[in-house]
Amino acid sequence: MRKNNCEAIRQELDELMLDETSSAAVVDHLRECAACREFNQKQTRLRQIVGSLGTVSAPPDFDFRLRARLANDAGGAAFHFWPLARRGLAFAAVLLVFVVGAILIRNVFNRPSENKQIATTDQHNTPAALQPVQTVAPQEQQPNPAPPLLASSSERRAQPIRNERTARIKRPLVAEDFSSQRAEVITGREPATEFEVLPLDSSLQSFKVSLDDGRGNARTISVPTISFGSQRMLQSGNQYAPKRDW
Amino acid sequence: MNTLTTINELGFAPALQQDVLEDTTSDHALLEATRTGDQDAFAELVSRYRNQITSYIYRMTNDYDGAVDLAQETFVRVYRAADRYQRSYAFSTYIYRIATNLAISELRKRKRRKLVSLTGFFQQNDGAEAQELNPPDTRPLQDSELVDTERRNAVQRAISTLPEKYRAPLILRDVDGRSYDEIARILETSEGTVKSRISRARGFLREKMRAYL
Repeated sequence: MRKNNCEAIRQELDELMLDETSSAAVVDHLRECAACREFNQKQTRLRQIVGSLGTVSAPPDFDFRLRARLANDAGGAAFHFWPLARRGLAFAAVLLVFVVGAILIRNVFNRPSENKQIATTDQHNTPAALQPVQTVAPQEQQPNPAPPLLASSSERRAQPIRNERTARIKRPLVAEDFSSQRAEVITGREPATEFEVLPLDSSLQSFKVSLDDGRGNARTISVPTISFGSQRMLQSGNQYAPKRDW
Repeated sequence: MNTLTTINELGFAPALQQDVLEDTTSDHALLEATRTGDQDAFAELVSRYRNQITSYIYRMTNDYDGAVDLAQETFVRVYRAADRYQRSYAFSTYIYRIATNLAISELRKRKRRKLVSLTGFFQQNDGAEAQELNPPDTRPLQDSELVDTERRNAVQRAISTLPEKYRAPLILRDVDGRSYDEIARILETSEGTVKSRISRARGFLREKMRAYL
């Protein structure tokens, strides 16, 4: 009971300002309770010491510095948008790059008529430079007969290596796919205008290709003619003939 | 012999007007004038509160230069937010709240950076259980002013070791002499919490300052 009373009295003392007068009950209790009296003395002393800290003055140039700071803020306010603007510009640049990239990719994949396959071949293994792949017939006479694939080893050796390299760099290594284009009908009656029309019966001869293996050795590959036997099939008149009749 | 035509020619008229302005114009009116672009009104506000705010932040942070910077930042924020100021409570409460937030923010920054003051160098991890580094010199001193200075320094060091939640209410109450109600509004907490924290803060200080009591 007494302890509770002491706590209440101390709490009341704690909440009072130093210059405030305590209630009669507190005064009576302090007269009787030595512990609370000592507490009150120490507490009052402590609060006097803390209160003696007083006010620290601001430096004399406080106003001047504050004014300069406000002026700086006001001057810099116009340029506060720069950090945001820089971020916005960076974002716009990245967005632009993505959009341009997306358009380019879309254009590349959405060109069925211009389906050109660009082959980047291994230039170390490719002899000389590659030209667009063309159908080569045995008796065909090319208007520009200098394909490196058909060049002999002696001719190849005569060419300086440096020129060969520059030629490799300058010529585009492109293989064109003509599968999507309509095949030209060769009847044999049209006059030869731009290039010589090949007769269909030339398939009796074998197809020969002379290659250079890169070490100066010429290799000749002979491909025999292939017959599909269509003429025989038509003669029999039986479309459902077994395969052995072909 | 020249005759004075106006009272301004006496030379003290502006000072007289300034005194009248200081006495009669409320903080609210000065801030209202600041909002309309009156720089003199803001200068008057600064002159009224610069010492109080600097001192309060100094007691909180125990760093005078930092306190001056934070006091300036306090006024800058008041100036910038003049348009948004509401008269729901006293201007002093408003500016002390800004100062308190800045001081507490600074204390937390220091704690994160592990900046250790010389006075708190030997304190334990728990601020509440911190021990005072400088033991009192029990020899008699020649000059009572030296005694007072030593005691004040000891108190300042002891306060700076208090946890921030006890430090602010103690300073506002025992150094600045503010009411519990105002402290509660500044710290945005209840009056009961303020009383409890002040009581605990005094208990900690009593332990630290035992030799001086």
